[in-house]
Amino acid sequence: MTAKPKSKPLKKTLPLLILAGPGLLYFLINSYFPMFGVFIAFKDVNYAKGIFGSDWIGFKNFTFLFQTSDAWIMTRNTLLYNLTFIALGTVVSIIIAILMSELLNKLYSKLFMTGLILPNLISMIVLSLLVFAFLNADSGFVNHSILRPLGIPEINWYSEAKYWPYLLVLIQIWKTAGYGSIVYFASIAGIDKSIYESAKIDGAGKLKQIRMITLPLLKPTIIVLVLMSMGRIFNSDFGLFYQVPMNSGALYSATQTIDTYVYRALMQLNDIGMSAAAGLYQSLVGFALVLTVNAIVKKVNPENALF
Amino acid sequence: MKKKGLGSLLLSMVICGSLLSACGGNSNTSSKNSGDTEAKAKVAEIVFALPSFNRIPDDLSKVTEAINAITTAKIGVKVDFRLFGPADYAQKVNLALQSGEKMDIFTTLGQFSNYVSKSQVAPLEELLTEHGKELTAILDKDFGPDILKTTTMDGHIYGIPVNKGMALPTNIIYNADMLAEAGVAADSIQSVEDLPAVFGAVKQKLPDVVPFGPINVNPTDTGLVNWMKGASKVDYLTDTTGVGVVIGDNGKVVNFYESDVFKNGIQMMRDWFEAGYLQKDTATTTITAMEMVSSGRGFSFLGGYSGMEVGKQLSAQVGKNIETKRIAPFYFDTSAVNSVTWMVSSTSKETEAAVKFLNLLYTDKELINTILFGIEGEDYIKVDEHHVKFPEGMDANTVPYTSMLSSGIVGSESLQYQMEGINWSDVELKLKENKDTERSPYFGFIFDQGQVKTQMSAVNNVVNQFLPALVSGSVDPESIIAKFNSALKDAGAQDIIDSKQQQLDQWLAAQKQ
Repeated sequence: MTAKPKSKPLKKTLPLLILAGPGLLYFLINSYFPMFGVFIAFKDVNYAKGIFGSDWIGFKNFTFLFQTSDAWIMTRNTLLYNLTFIALGTVVSIIIAILMSELLNKLYSKLFMTGLILPNLISMIVLSLLVFAFLNADSGFVNHSILRPLGIPEINWYSEAKYWPYLLVLIQIWKTAGYGSIVYFASIAGIDKSIYESAKIDGAGKLKQIRMITLPLLKPTIIVLVLMSMGRIFNSDFGLFYQVPMNSGALYSATQTIDTYVYRALMQLNDIGMSAAAGLYQSLVGFALVLTVNAIVKKVNPENALF
Repeated sequence: MKKKGLGSLLLSMVICGSLLSACGGNSNTSSKNSGDTEAKAKVAEIVFALPSFNRIPDDLSKVTEAINAITTAKIGVKVDFRLFGPADYAQKVNLALQSGEKMDIFTTLGQFSNYVSKSQVAPLEELLTEHGKELTAILDKDFGPDILKTTTMDGHIYGIPVNKGMALPTNIIYNADMLAEAGVAADSIQSVEDLPAVFGAVKQKLPDVVPFGPINVNPTDTGLVNWMKGASKVDYLTDTTGVGVVIGDNGKVVNFYESDVFKNGIQMMRDWFEAGYLQKDTATTTITAMEMVSSGRGFSFLGGYSGMEVGKQLSAQVGKNIETKRIAPFYFDTSAVNSVTWMVSSTSKETEAAVKFLNLLYTDKELINTILFGIEGEDYIKVDEHHVKFPEGMDANTVPYTSMLSSGIVGSESLQYQMEGINWSDVELKLKENKDTERSPYFGFIFDQGQVKTQMSAVNNVVNQFLPALVSGSVDPESIIAKFNSALKDAGAQDIIDSKQQQLDQWLAAQKQ
């Protein structure tokens, strides 16, 4: 008799725990265990001495990140691209989600949703070839079938950096917006339908309903998702910035991010101390950003803060 | 997402692995003395990892058995034979080294000094004098006694360069049928100055063909850069960036990209590009010159090849009538020789067995050819003393085992079988050229990048950014070379040059003693 109230919470939480299990395990193995290795960032790794015996060298491993004028370019690129992706991605995802939720026909809704999510499943390598098919100088679709027949001078896409900020944003949004809209779509589906009904009775049109009901109720979701992506603002999708521009040197000013710089710089050196330093730097800045943004949100609206 | 997960998983495994191995290491040393006498009677076991450019068979047991039959009988060593594709190889070996997994003998694919500066490889000089006499003898015979200088740092020998035809004079490789169609005699091509006329004739006769093939992959290893190195005696002094080189024999380290040799070479390529001899997207294309020639879209490209039989081999490979013509000599600098070097891991517990095995790997005809061609009768059939062929109805892709394309990586070329149809005298010619080819006065100098790691990483980035467009002639050299050099200066090129000059002066002083 006395055992019953005790076992009940466990019974209730056990399925949830099991559900969370794989995720927890994933983070434990991939994020928390490796944290143990951060000290490598401060070592001059020597294999004969082992990682524990190697000499401490302070912040020397970090200097390569700030060595050149590239440091400014790659930081700027990483930040601006990510901010654009977060801002534009959120807007486009919400628009898609709202449009989807207005589709009453189940079949259409499913069809469009699948179509929009599909790009997210394409690997960046495959995507880079698709882009290449459009943009290559000789036989690419854009040059060969659009610009040439129209008599517009052809563009050597892979050697002119000025087009790439737009191209990369376009590609990223095309690839991820559909997938990103799922969470918003689910939140909208969870909004009580009677609110809309009463709004309709009060004479609110579709747009007004969206502005006054859907968006305010989506706010917590938006804040959480933006906060989460803030943490990765110093990381970039390596495939997008390295594979898609075909690693073309002429485009570095538009495509160099911290990740690609680290890869290019350390490909030859193969120095794990310096790689660890780069990773630590990215994580710390991301961590600081999450804390800052969360603090701001807390100040403005305590209910919506993450913690 | 999935890829990243895997990467992190590997990292955590690496860290756990190194923990385990660190503990394991300690306990072993204490028990070593007592077990020493016992170990001698026992067969030592080593791990030997080979890069293969052929299909990797699922089952290596038969060939491993055959290798072990040879090694246990001759030196009492058992070999755990591993085979990795070229793309995987460095990663697998590095992972094993970092995690402390057993990995005794492995090769560099061009990173020799990196392994040494991180103490990943064991010094071999003492073991070599005891267990490697035959090995040193065959290196002396095929290349010359100076070969081991290229793997010696601070008086220690850290590896054995592969023993093969190392001189790779620059050849123009071209489609002979197209040349005939354009009405040009092959003998009219003697040097690089003769090429524009040939390209012009080809372009006129065959307007759809691209006269000169794209240059890609690693920009510092393109036909153009190699041609400049050979024709103008440029020593890169072992790193691949090119910011600290010596041109000729004046002993002065300079930035290659500021030199007239570089400017003239790039200007030449620019002229070719503007005349329409190269593809417009040469700088960025991922299609190799070989593929272009193979598909009939390309006419020629520059490449470094040893011997005179290249044309035959390439014809078979690409299915066109290919001929070659030497247009510049080769120039031996250190990295030309030590770029493929067999090394013993510094964490290896069987260094003695490893050196015994290396000795055999360079000198035992049976072992070398088992590794390359597999088992006689099943994987290959012997034609005569020097030649083999595949069994009836089989080729390199269908035999149970072959690593024949690794012939430039394994042991001594003079002991390897050749495929039927290859002229044996070519092997002799290659060995002769090993001795005749001019050595740089700094042959044997190895640059230790340790002091300027930061600058090296920054400079690498700059080189990747500017060089591909320049070596393909697709940008204006006037303005871009100046930009390139100012970016290099920004990245700390001068520190590299200074550090190199200082090391080179020390090395030269040590050589005089």
